[in-house]
Amino acid sequence: MFYTITEQVVNGIVSGSVYAIVAVGMTMIFGVLRAINFAHGEYYMLGTFGAWFAIDYFDLPYPVAVVIGVVATAVIAVVVGNFVMQRIVGAPAEAGVLATLGVSLILQNTVILFFGGSYKFFSGGYIEPVTLFGFTLAEQRILIIIVGLIVFIGLELMVTYSRMGKAMRAVSQNIECCAVVGIDVRHVALWTFILGAGLAGLSGVLTAPVNVSVYGGMGELITFKTLPIIIMGGLGNVRGTFVAAMILGVAESLVATYVGLQFRDTVGFATLMLVLMWRPHGLFSAQARF
Amino acid sequence: MTPAELSIPATGRDLRLPFGVALAALACAAPLFLGNYPLHAIIIALIFLLPAHGLNLLLGYTGLLSLAQAAFFGIGAYTSALLAVHFGTPFYVNFLAAGVVAGAIALPLGIPALRLRATSFVMCTLGFVIIGQAIAKNWISLTRGDMGLAGIPKPYFALGPVSFTVSGTVGFYYLVLVIAAIATLAAYLIVRSPAGRNMIAIRENETLAESVGIPTWNYKLLVFMISAAFAGLGGSVYAHYLTVVSPLTFQMYYSTTMLIIVLGGGAGTISGVIFGSLLFVGLTEALRVAPELRMIAYGFCLLGLVFWFPSGFAPIIGRFWSFLERRK
Repeated sequence: MFYTITEQVVNGIVSGSVYAIVAVGMTMIFGVLRAINFAHGEYYMLGTFGAWFAIDYFDLPYPVAVVIGVVATAVIAVVVGNFVMQRIVGAPAEAGVLATLGVSLILQNTVILFFGGSYKFFSGGYIEPVTLFGFTLAEQRILIIIVGLIVFIGLELMVTYSRMGKAMRAVSQNIECCAVVGIDVRHVALWTFILGAGLAGLSGVLTAPVNVSVYGGMGELITFKTLPIIIMGGLGNVRGTFVAAMILGVAESLVATYVGLQFRDTVGFATLMLVLMWRPHGLFSAQARF
Repeated sequence: MTPAELSIPATGRDLRLPFGVALAALACAAPLFLGNYPLHAIIIALIFLLPAHGLNLLLGYTGLLSLAQAAFFGIGAYTSALLAVHFGTPFYVNFLAAGVVAGAIALPLGIPALRLRATSFVMCTLGFVIIGQAIAKNWISLTRGDMGLAGIPKPYFALGPVSFTVSGTVGFYYLVLVIAAIATLAAYLIVRSPAGRNMIAIRENETLAESVGIPTWNYKLLVFMISAAFAGLGGSVYAHYLTVVSPLTFQMYYSTTMLIIVLGGGAGTISGVIFGSLLFVGLTEALRVAPELRMIAYGFCLLGLVFWFPSGFAPIIGRFWSFLERRK
């Protein structure tokens, strides 16, 4: 009994890390652009498809496929960022919702149009099980946890010390003042977006060997799981998002085991609504800003 | 977003009445010269008009962006389907029950949701759709889960000894046409009433509206419920038309479609919504566009609407319209 619970918690931490890598990018994009990115899951899907394409069509090894997946996502993010996301800066909240909803429809259905809507098999990654501290885990899952930690620490360092990171924080506090002191807001917005989308792509490539199946509509589910996380974490709050992602990952895994697998995908929104009723601006945000 | 009014200049001839009469005559005579497939496309467009009217009241007139329409659409569809399958009640009972149930469920959902601001409100309404789908999938004893409810009878009416069943595309077309006309009239009356002006005041400036004594909270809750009722009525007709409902009725796809209709036609105008549903649902259905291509087109429409036509495509027609009036 105890062993099952700990095993499920570890599994939850793995999926929590996946959500965290996706959600951190989404929350940073929100911080800078003030727009919920409804298309965020699509970049996760694009990363997976990029890697699947590299493995299936060109027989490339998994590490190369990871790079290709992330680069492909970033390239698409550059295009979307230039034509769509930069224009959202300073626009009302509805504009952001609608524009990113549009991007999501375009990306998802273009992929389905090109590759078909069927499920594809992702062959690659490190799925050998290893035993660590008495737990048996696939190597890939350990890799996910490690990458999650690296991303989190790296982002914290970048946001605190690098010039671009400081600019991102500045833009998320006050756009006009940034423009006055000579920060190129559109430039910062673009790079934040590319970084966020790239992270989502990375997360997609890392999870693909665990999920095994690849399909065009997979991004939507991830978007729906990430949205509650970033709201619960307090929009724009990187640390809060990380904690919220872990909570959701563990909660999902426990619900799947003890309540029923079919309820897993509802946990996020159900929790979100309970949290919003109790604290309308998220778990970790000190004041109501949005 | 500034919803536009279709401005019709006072100068020149007022073409609204003759045009309206011509349009009504055309709508009544449509089965004479349209085949079954185009009629089917118009039926779908008219069904979607109902939830779109509801969303328009909420988004276009009160300024609340909600994605929950699909949830209430689904609730209406299931209510109607369950009544028809289990109790064999006549269509008008199912239809009205669907609206009442959807509106009533909107009350407990709206109270917590409307306390939230912009982004969180949107998220919360999206959550209703996701949770609605989960309930439809997992409450198997009631909804039969993923198998859905099949064999919903064609709408039949029973008044005392007289009873008749609406069957065939033409019959259904007239039924939906009447329902859509009544719904449009209802939406028009709501908008033109003092309540409608208060809704616009809330949209324009909620704090100011509150300060001049408009009970903004009551209004928002009421409009949320009315819009849900409209969606429920639409869901009921949809269920009877397709004769099956499945958990996929609770889908973001429907919310997106309704959003496109309202914004594309022109939020905050009644005529814009009619135009929007015929253009975005009717036309794509009639041209048998592949669903993926349709969604891509919707995506580009959304981008175009946000960046270039913030008041929808209807004002372009409006400009053409006033051009016509000046010419004659």
